[in-house]
Amino acid sequence: MIRLENVAKVYDGGIVAVREIDMDVRRGEFVFLVGPSGSGKSTLIRMCLREEKATKGKIWVAGKEITKMTSWRVPYLRRTVGTVFQDFKLLPNKTVAENVAFALKVTGRPRSVVRSQVPQVLELVGLSAKADRYPRQLSGGEQQRVSLARAFVNRPPILLADEPTGNLDPATSVGIMRLLDRINRTGTTVMMATHDHAIVDAMRRRVVQLERGRVVRDQAGSGYESSADLVDL
Amino acid sequence: MSTVLYLIGEAFTNLRRNILVVTGAVLAVFVSLTLAFGALVFNELVRVNTLQWQEGEHIIIFLKDEGGPAAHRALLEEIQGFEEVRRAWYLDKAGAYREFQEMFSNQPALVETMTAAELPASIRVELDDISSYQEVQFRLVGHQLLRRLSVFSEGIERLLSLTQVLNSIGIGLVAVLGAAAVVLIANTIRMAIYARREEIAIMKLVGAGNWFIRVPFILEGATVGLLGGGLAVAAVYVSHQLLARVPTDILLRFQVQSDFLLQRGVLILTFGVIAGFLGSSLGLRRFLRV
Ligand SMILES: Nc1ncnc2c1ncn2[C@@H]1O[C@H](COP(=O)(O)OP(=O)(O)OP(=O)(O)O)[C@@H](O)[C@H]1O
Ligand SMILES: [Mg+2]
Repeated sequence: MIRLENVAKVYDGGIVAVREIDMDVRRGEFVFLVGPSGSGKSTLIRMCLREEKATKGKIWVAGKEITKMTSWRVPYLRRTVGTVFQDFKLLPNKTVAENVAFALKVTGRPRSVVRSQVPQVLELVGLSAKADRYPRQLSGGEQQRVSLARAFVNRPPILLADEPTGNLDPATSVGIMRLLDRINRTGTTVMMATHDHAIVDAMRRRVVQLERGRVVRDQAGSGYESSADLVDL
Repeated sequence: MSTVLYLIGEAFTNLRRNILVVTGAVLAVFVSLTLAFGALVFNELVRVNTLQWQEGEHIIIFLKDEGGPAAHRALLEEIQGFEEVRRAWYLDKAGAYREFQEMFSNQPALVETMTAAELPASIRVELDDISSYQEVQFRLVGHQLLRRLSVFSEGIERLLSLTQVLNSIGIGLVAVLGAAAVVLIANTIRMAIYARREEIAIMKLVGAGNWFIRVPFILEGATVGLLGGGLAVAAVYVSHQLLARVPTDILLRFQVQSDFLLQRGVLILTFGVIAGFLGSSLGLRRFLRV
C-alpha cells in the first residue's frame, strides 16, 4: 500500500530531514512511526501526500508512484488518502457537517450521496448532535473526531495521521485511538506518527522507529521502546 | 451539476464574508468604469457637436456677375465634378437676397438699403471631408468668376485637431481606467486568497483540485466587475438624463443617441465581467501550486 525505496529529503538550506528510508506497509496494516523530535516522521508523512517532494528515491502510494506524478494528479492521490493532524485542520467557517461534506464535494459526489453519507459518518464518530456547530464551538477531542470523520467519509484505502492525539488528554486520546482502530479493522491501512508511549504500548502494532532520518527499528506487535520482552508476545 | 451550484454558493458566501473588501473593490471599479464610460460619452458628444458643423455649407464661393447664369452654371458643373465635393448648389441673386432678408430680419433698416442686384450669386459647397477644404481652394484660385471664397468656419481646422486630441485623450483614459479596474480586482482577489491561505491549504490537503479552489475566486472577481460595471452604467445613464435636460442650443447638444448609450453600456458591463475574470485569474497566478 505504501512503499518507500531509498528515500531522502533535503529541505532548502541543506537541512537533511530524511537520510535514507526503505519501508513497505501492506494493505490493512497499522503502523506507528515513532522517534525523537526532528527525526523525520512528519516529513515522511508529508512526502506520502506529495506536500513535499522527495529529493531522492521512489514512493508508491496505493499502487501509484507519486514521486513521478504530475501536479494536477496530486488531488486524486489525496482523495485516496485520509489525513488527520495534531491541529485538526478543520475549515473554521464551515459547520461540522459541512466540513465532512467538503471531502465528498471535492470528488464531485452528487448531493444525494452527501446527504446520506455525512450523517452516517457523524453517527460513527458520535457527533450527530453537533452536526451544525462550528469547529470553534467544539472541544479538541470533538474536533479531532470531525477530522477523522472527514478523513474516512471517502472510504480511503489509506489513512495517515500525524500525532492525532498530540493535543488531547489521555482519556480523549483513547477515544480517538478506538476510532482509528475501528477504521483499520474495516481494511484501511493506517500509518500514524506519535510520541504517545501509552498508546503505542497498549495497541501492540507494528512500530517503525526513526532516528535522524533513518529507520532504526521496524518491529511487529511492539511497544514505544524497543524491548526484547515485548517482542512476539 | 451539484458541484457547480456548490461552487457558486461558496463564491457568494465568500463575498458576504468579505463584504468590506468587496464593497471597496466594487466602488473602485465603479469609479474607474464610470470615468471610462464618461470619457466615451464625452467623445460622442464632441463628435455629435462637430457633426453639425460638418453638415451643410462648408464653402461659399461668391461669383462675379460676368458671363451671367450660363457661365455660373458651367462652373457649378465643374465644381460638382471635384472629388472632394459631396454636393454643390447654386444660389442666384434673388436667392441671396432672400437669405439676406432672413439673416437680418431683425435689422429692417439694413435690409431696406440693400437690393437683389447688389448681392452676388454664389455656389455653396458641401465637402465629403471638411478637412479637404484647402484642396478646393487650390483648384479655384485665380478663376475669373471668383469674387471671394469663404470657408464657413474659420476655426474648422483648429476644431478638427482639437476633436482628435480629445478623442485620443478619451481613448487613452478608457484604456488606463480599464486596466485599473483589472488590477483592482486582481488585488482584491489576492487579498482574499491571502486571508484564506490556511483554509486553502486545508482544502488542498483534503484533495480539492485547483479548479475547485479557483472557481469561487473567479466568480467573486466576476461579480465585483459586474457590480462595479452595473453601477457605472447606472451612474452615466442618470447623469446623461440630467444633462439632456439642459436647454439645447443649436450649436451645443448634451444628448447622445440612446442606441449609443445602450451599446456602450452593454460594452462597459461586459468589460466589467471580463475585467473580473482577468483580474481574478491574474490574482490567482503564481498561486495554487500543489
Ligand atoms: N519546511 C521545512 N523546511 C526546512 N526544514 C524543515 C522543514 N520541515 C521540517 N524541517 C526539518 O526537518 C527535520 C525533520 O522534521 P520533521 O518535522 O519531519 O520531524 P518530526 O519527526 O515530525 O518531529 P516532531 O516529532 O517534533 O514532530 C527537522 O530538523 C526539521 O527542523
Ligand atoms: Mg512532526
